[in-house]
Amino acid sequence: MANLTIKNLFKRYDNVGKKTKTVNDYAVNDLCLTCNDGEFVALLGPSGCGKTTTLRMIAGLEEITKGDIYIGETRINDLHPKDRHIGLAFEDYAMYPPLTVYDNIAFNLRAKGVAKGEIDGRVRDIAKLMHCEELLDMMPVKLSGGQKQRVNIARAIVRRPEILLMDEPLSHLDGKMRQSMRVEIKRLHIEINCTSVYVTHDQLEAMSLADRIAIMDLGVLQQFGTPMEVYDDPVNEFVAAFIGEPPMNILETTVIKDENDFFFTFAESELRILVPARYYSKVRDGFRVKMGVRPMDLYVGGPESKGNPERVAVFENLGDERRIGVRVGEHMMMLITNDETRYRHGDIIRLEVNGEKTHLFDLETGDRIRSDR
Amino acid sequence: MSPTAKKRLYAVLKNGGLAIYSVFALFPLLWMVILTFKSDAEMLTTTFVFTPTLDNYKQVLFYTDYFRYIKDSVIVAGGAVLVSVLAGVPAAYAFARYEFKNKEKIAFQILSFKFAPEILVVLPLYMIYQKLGLYDSYLGLIWVYQLISMPLIIWVVRGYFEDISVEIEHAAQVDGYNWYQVFLKFLLPLIKPGLVSSALLCFIFAWNSFTFPLLLAGIKIEPITVAATKYLAQSTVHYGQMAVAATISALPSIIFAICIQKHLVRGLSFGAVKG
Repeated sequence: MANLTIKNLFKRYDNVGKKTKTVNDYAVNDLCLTCNDGEFVALLGPSGCGKTTTLRMIAGLEEITKGDIYIGETRINDLHPKDRHIGLAFEDYAMYPPLTVYDNIAFNLRAKGVAKGEIDGRVRDIAKLMHCEELLDMMPVKLSGGQKQRVNIARAIVRRPEILLMDEPLSHLDGKMRQSMRVEIKRLHIEINCTSVYVTHDQLEAMSLADRIAIMDLGVLQQFGTPMEVYDDPVNEFVAAFIGEPPMNILETTVIKDENDFFFTFAESELRILVPARYYSKVRDGFRVKMGVRPMDLYVGGPESKGNPERVAVFENLGDERRIGVRVGEHMMMLITNDETRYRHGDIIRLEVNGEKTHLFDLETGDRIRSDR
Repeated sequence: MSPTAKKRLYAVLKNGGLAIYSVFALFPLLWMVILTFKSDAEMLTTTFVFTPTLDNYKQVLFYTDYFRYIKDSVIVAGGAVLVSVLAGVPAAYAFARYEFKNKEKIAFQILSFKFAPEILVVLPLYMIYQKLGLYDSYLGLIWVYQLISMPLIIWVVRGYFEDISVEIEHAAQVDGYNWYQVFLKFLLPLIKPGLVSSALLCFIFAWNSFTFPLLLAGIKIEPITVAATKYLAQSTVHYGQMAVAATISALPSIIFAICIQKHLVRGLSFGAVKG
């Protein structure tokens, strides 16, 4: 086991065929990242954000344009993939079709020339750990997606890697299998406690698995923090919108001054939301800004509520929770409630906002505008 | 009509249709085989009732250069397929795996070699070959046969490579194998069905080729397709001997086609990795 340090990493594709829409054509742009020993780090972002490229550079499958990667104290830039002491679990499982599951898992050990008896012991131990003992004699084509992924991960960890790399391992699995494999991966991490880098575009996987999440967009690291940090304290609009399901309501607003109070107002809507006092030093009359609030931080006021009367546009009863959509200008503002009341399209509700949980983002840059406190 | 009677009628009609078709398709072959057993005297006077003779076979096999023609055919068709495989498989790999400028245009260009009728290109080729000294040589014929065999192999094998996840190669790299080991151990077995069926099909095409060897060879080197016409050129037309030459030279194609017909459709239409 070791820690992983990425210093000022750049990747630029010179390929003519590929069209990159990233900043300055860099697929990965000045990435700095440290995973501590035994830590589980998720690289999260939409497709094309550079997360898989980063992983492949760590694995040695992709050339590094600029920057350094260290595993422990060793700079691995110029090492062959096989000498980097990494295990890699692939998105498409990448099993060797002509070999049995057993041989697939043993393949790496054989390449390294590990003694036959030891190979057998290690393969069986890992199979037990990954709950795939009964699959050992089968051919890869016979396996289901979930089974393939078990074997894929078994194959990655049988070599006792210092860093375990996983490239969207759950993206081809269906909903239920995805959930149970997610739990499996969590359990595995607790048991072997291997420094892990996990690439995903699914914020739920990142939130549930990772100790820390690195959120990337257009090759640039946006924020690196614990799941609760990125959820509660996003540094910009991109992170705020990417984390959370349903996503944060982010609306353009104009601040107006009414006597001594400031209000957020919205185009083509009667809705007014009181600006929390902590933002008073940041706003002025006519200030245009983006306001974000999570669906959980909106609620339906009681009979004596002074909240804005709004018409229910969408009502979804999901059993555990109910989602109410309210039209604000062109946008749909979602709120989540555990309240049992069933609304119908057109019902009037009093919309209340937990002012403490509102975020402001710069209209141009999307950067967070922080309050004084 | 009851459903079972309907089914039976359908089966009768279907089999009847197939029988008619098979007579239609196989009759020329049968006619050719019948000719081989007729003497020149009976050739035009009898149809099905005649005195069978093996004279034509004896004449062709023992008194002409028949085996030389066969040898020439084997060398040029086999050589053409070998070159196509050796050059075509790496080319197919490149088309499947790498991004380069005008990739699709080049791939289409290669396919388009098959579009032009042979007779269109053969005259300029004849003059070029005369100048280059490739006329009437094994090398020249093998080279020109690439027009027939290379595009097919590249396009079929490319599809197979594209179906193999590139991650298999990456996994092997992480496992510490080099590319050649990966190719031999994993890629080759996976592309084998496509490679074998397209190579055999190419062999048949090259074997059957007539226009190219007729005009680009014919003195020192005579593949069997061209040699078979020799029996026309002499004072009398030896239909029987020509039929023998044609019958024997058609055998490899027929045998190959029967052997691979099952794999052929599969190999040319299915990808490598399924499920």
